[in-house]
Amino acid sequence: MRFATRTFLTSCVPFAVLLAVSFWAVRGTVMSTVRDGLRASVRENEVALAREQARNETRNRRLLQGVAENPTLKAGLQLLATERSARDQARNTVQDQLSEICDSLSFDFIMVSGAVGEPLAAVVRDAGGFTPVNAVRLRPPEQGFFSADDRLYEVSSVPIYEAGAQVATLTVGGRFEIARFGVPAVLMHQGAVVAAQMRDLAPAQIENALGTCAAGADCEVSIQDQAYLSLPLGLTAGGGDGYVLRSLQNVDAASAPLQAALQKLFLVSGFAALGAMLGISALSSRSIAGPLARVAAHLRHSAASGELPEFPDSQGGVQEIQDLTRGFNHAAKAIREGRERLTRAYVQFVGSLAQALDARDAYTAGHSRRVSEYSCAIAKAMDLPEQDLETIRVGALLHDLGKIGISDLVLQKPGRLTPEEDQLIRQHPVIGRRILENVQGLEAYLGIVELHHENWDGTGYPCGLKGDEIPLGARIVKVADAYDAMTSDRPYRRGMSHAEALAVLRSASGSQMDPTVVEAFAMLGDQRKQQAVLNEARSLHSLSLAVRSETTARAGSTTSKPEAALKIVHDPAIRGRQAVTPEKEAL
Amino acid sequence: MWTKLGSGMLLGAALLAGADIHGTITIERKLTRHNVTASAGIYQRGASIELGADAEENPLAFERSHVAVYIEGPQASLSSEAANASIEQRDRRFVPDLVVVPAGSTVSFPNFDPIFHNIFSLSKAKSFDLGNYPKGQTRLVTFATPGIVAVYCHLHPNMAATVVVAPSRWATRADDNGAFALKDVPAGTYVVVAWHKAAGTFRKTVTIGGTNDAEADFTLPYVETSDEKHVAHR
Repeated sequence: MRFATRTFLTSCVPFAVLLAVSFWAVRGTVMSTVRDGLRASVRENEVALAREQARNETRNRRLLQGVAENPTLKAGLQLLATERSARDQARNTVQDQLSEICDSLSFDFIMVSGAVGEPLAAVVRDAGGFTPVNAVRLRPPEQGFFSADDRLYEVSSVPIYEAGAQVATLTVGGRFEIARFGVPAVLMHQGAVVAAQMRDLAPAQIENALGTCAAGADCEVSIQDQAYLSLPLGLTAGGGDGYVLRSLQNVDAASAPLQAALQKLFLVSGFAALGAMLGISALSSRSIAGPLARVAAHLRHSAASGELPEFPDSQGGVQEIQDLTRGFNHAAKAIREGRERLTRAYVQFVGSLAQALDARDAYTAGHSRRVSEYSCAIAKAMDLPEQDLETIRVGALLHDLGKIGISDLVLQKPGRLTPEEDQLIRQHPVIGRRILENVQGLEAYLGIVELHHENWDGTGYPCGLKGDEIPLGARIVKVADAYDAMTSDRPYRRGMSHAEALAVLRSASGSQMDPTVVEAFAMLGDQRKQQAVLNEARSLHSLSLAVRSETTARAGSTTSKPEAALKIVHDPAIRGRQAVTPEKEAL
Repeated sequence: MWTKLGSGMLLGAALLAGADIHGTITIERKLTRHNVTASAGIYQRGASIELGADAEENPLAFERSHVAVYIEGPQASLSSEAANASIEQRDRRFVPDLVVVPAGSTVSFPNFDPIFHNIFSLSKAKSFDLGNYPKGQTRLVTFATPGIVAVYCHLHPNMAATVVVAPSRWATRADDNGAFALKDVPAGTYVVVAWHKAAGTFRKTVTIGGTNDAEADFTLPYVETSDEKHVAHR
């Protein structure tokens, strides 16, 4: 699993879960709070309404008291009570009076009963006006709901007194239409729904639900999974012939818009928060993983190249990553330094080896160093990479190491060598190789050491390789070796001039020498000549210094030959009288 | 009835060879408010309402036709002549609701409604209570003393009528245009009285000499710029 993925998962998932859970909990709390608040407000409304209705009834009662004191009605009742001959007309008279009262006070039903409750006359409002009804069967309650001719009236009664004695009862009422009622309400008669405003609810459901409610008390019921609040309304509740008027308010429906709005709010904010969290955690995981990936790429590159480059100072600004890179930088620096020390030590060792070799013969003193310099110059002229340059430099220094294994008698023999001796000499590349191949880290130079006597045309030793089979380093060193041998003095001859040596090299080009290398060296020679003219004085000076220090290093050597040699080199008159093959000279 | 009264007056005028008093009642604004709903009975619901002289159609005509005009004066009292009038009860209303009769006249109150009425008055000039009586029955009342008699019904508080008992036989109602004429008034000085239920009583002195007709115009209610005196009498 990738680090970014893990960071993301460990940071995002628990928080997402936590966020979702807390959102859910908060939402639930808010919803229930809203519902409770709404229920309370609905209850308050209904209580206020019930109180208002009770007040209205009281007011009606007062109004009725005034109506009951109507002297003309009393006169009419007296007439009705005393008239014997024209009873119909007397009843008409009273009904007429009742109609007038009904009309002027906007009642829908009016009735007078006698002192003991016997019905006297009744009038109801009709489409066209007022119609007297047969009052014989009517027994309205003193207060409450009352049904006459299939119409429902909400009635109140008031006694009519004469001289302190009740002579009659006046009952008035208005049509009750539940649809015009202010709040959702239901009217029930002996447990059965008479009228209800809720058209979507079946009467049976309402009856079942409200059947559990105590009379005169408010209660909460559940119909069709919705919470309803029901309060008894008005003074008529519980009384009046088994009629009960209750409000029935759907609390859930009332709070639905608010709940929906809240739900939406919660969903939007929840998803926004989740999204923000996703984004932030993705960014933060990337901010960790990005520098890490860069570090990893850097390390991979280091592993592939074997180099230990330093990290740039800032790696995304993350403290830990910076610590990491800094630590790596420190380690890399230590390793690099160790490696450099090692390299230095090894180069010094190699230099010492070369010096030791050169020291055996005064005439070859500085040979290895010079060959190394020439080789380097040629390699540079051929635009070889830096690494090869280093290999060539060191390889050239070591190229004659094998001569350690050759007896001084043979090596320093002034005259011509016998074939046996020559055979012995020819062993030195192989000996050199044998010496070095046991040393770890010097593998790169084995080619130069072993093969610097191979010829371009395959006539060389020890393997007889030809052309490109011979490593380029070995080919370069061969040219440099031959040139140095030809231009160096020997006990038996003077060294050749540059031009002579170059001519010899050119003549051997394509046979012993690699033409490309010879050509490169020839070009180099021109440049060197120009440079030599420009820097002659300085070169002389530095050269003499170098020779002197070399002389000092060779304790016990009293000869002043280097100075002489130096003079000879710069004296063209005593130079190169004898043409020799480079091969022979380069022994 | 009015024709009868008028012809009697004409007869008297011919005998006495007097002159006429003409006049016009001017009423510029409505003086009476009617409660149409309350006065309409159950038996006439939906039927057209006949409120005296179509009050709603032309209220000013109604007001003008409800002005009683008669004369007062020393000579007038001598020539009082009884007449008969009738106030019917129809549709829980008195029809007519204003009669003008000389003192000593008898007014009948027949009930044409299918319900009881109980007609009474508490006025000074004549107080009476006719008791409850049903349809088809009638009661008679004789008004001996001049004055304004307000008539009501015990059972129907909306019913009201007025009997103006004039001291002389020269008494009449103005017509819809406010015009009135008191015929064959003997020579002399009289006070012409115009009475309206809401506006009150207005008096004007008129002198009749020979056979010349006299004019007596009234503007009701009283206009302040006029120097004529009036007494509001309710």
